[in-house]
Amino acid sequence: MSRPKETFEEALAELEDVVKKLEDDAVGLEEALKLFERGVALARRCRTQLAGVERRVEQLLAEAGESEQLEKAPFVPEEG
Amino acid sequence: MSERTWGVGELIREINAALAGTFGEMWVRGELSGVKTAGSGHRYFQIKDSEGALSCAMWSSRAGRLRFRLEDGQAVLVKAAPEVYPQRGSLQLIVVEVVPEGVGELQLAFEQLKERLSREGLFATERKRPLPDLPQRIGLVTSPSGAAVRDVLKVLSRWLPLQVLLYPVRVQGRGAEIEVARAVRYLGRGDLVDVILVVRGGGSLEDLWAFNEEEVARAIAASVVPVVSGVGHEVDHTIADFVADVRAATPTQAAEMIVARLEDRKRRWEQAEDVLKRRIDRIVERTSLRLAALEGARGLARLPARLQELKERLRRLEQLPPRLRAVVSARHRRLDGTAARLFHWPVRFGAPRRREVVTARLAVAAERLRSLLGRRRLEFAGSERALAALSPEAVLQRGFSITMREGDPAPLRDAARVQPGERLLTRLAAGSLRSLAVGGGGGRQGVLFEEEK
Repeated sequence: MSRPKETFEEALAELEDVVKKLEDDAVGLEEALKLFERGVALARRCRTQLAGVERRVEQLLAEAGESEQLEKAPFVPEEG
Repeated sequence: MSERTWGVGELIREINAALAGTFGEMWVRGELSGVKTAGSGHRYFQIKDSEGALSCAMWSSRAGRLRFRLEDGQAVLVKAAPEVYPQRGSLQLIVVEVVPEGVGELQLAFEQLKERLSREGLFATERKRPLPDLPQRIGLVTSPSGAAVRDVLKVLSRWLPLQVLLYPVRVQGRGAEIEVARAVRYLGRGDLVDVILVVRGGGSLEDLWAFNEEEVARAIAASVVPVVSGVGHEVDHTIADFVADVRAATPTQAAEMIVARLEDRKRRWEQAEDVLKRRIDRIVERTSLRLAALEGARGLARLPARLQELKERLRRLEQLPPRLRAVVSARHRRLDGTAARLFHWPVRFGAPRRREVVTARLAVAAERLRSLLGRRRLEFAGSERALAALSPEAVLQRGFSITMREGDPAPLRDAARVQPGERLLTRLAAGSLRSLAVGGGGGRQGVLFEEEK
């Protein structure tokens, strides 16, 4: 999946702007359709980014020496 | 009795032995002055009060354990033993420990570091970065076995699509600050996580000490990734808290900030998408009503883009004879009206009510609209054919012709106005005829052109 150049914040701000324009009674049909399509694309992008990572809880396994790339392993906290 | 003669070194040794026997190590109260650190790390200073001053030396092995900085004017207690320094024969105190008087040692160290880093601008508001856009990859610096890690993970579990990368460290004891700083440096490089939480549960000032160390402060300040600190309880403030981009009162609160941000973004997105969906439902509804009305009026309902195309065709019909043109322009006007209505579509929407969002419904709404407009397009194609029947070409195809004077494109419609001998041009469906008028004038000799009703 190619990461969109726009940040989530930018996409969300634009989506909110599109919705605001669409709420204007004076908007023309043609314009409304354009806004709608842009809005759908932005909304989809936002959703993709919101669900953008798969849940993982890991810990780094630090070696004695401070190596550049540390190993990762799943992490489950002890009960307590 | 013979007098004993002493060697200098011998006497000094004897004096020092006597001093050690008489005093040993003891606590001396006074004020520091002339503090110097030698390249070797040894500290030299004087301790004085209103009545006198004594030179002091503190070897680097001892000075390295000091938690606060020795400064002129500090009221202190020094633990020291007096001795004569053989090379100069001067008396000095060999200091093994310095304790600030009045405030605790840690408190003093804390205040000193805070003061120093503050002067450097490390706590400045301008340096603080906001939480990232979507903090989805969380770097966690804490002990893997404390209550803090459980508290944080518990809160973070409220948000499913989230990654936690724990850098396990010791959060108290000698050397803990080195581990915490190393972890912050590792996670703070910028490509591993979106935000770093540096957390530890409550404890005494001594317990929290690692978070008051300069090395930790420097690592946090240097991090490319924003750092949230959540150390101790509400009342505890550590140097790490001051340097961090965002201070949370507790580990739980640090995690809450992350989840709250994600939840807020999701809420905003849902709201926007919900409104978007209902607006378009409304537009589709309005459009179908409007189109139905136009249909009833046998109007030429078309999309504006196609209207432009149509206008272009109409412009080409301008050369038609006036009566025919009148018929066409009546249609033209209706088209203009339709175009205007389509371009300035009044759209009114209801207020948002529900929050349930299904993007699929958006797609369905768009599809409905598209097919609706597609149908309109087909219907229009019929109207267009009707209009095409009015074009001169079509008329000529039906066997009529147009006659004009040569060099004058205005069609002739009255034979009486043609004089014998005039050169005429007659357009047929295919090609044209040039002719010379031999009769004409006066009577109605024939119909050159039949108008379409």
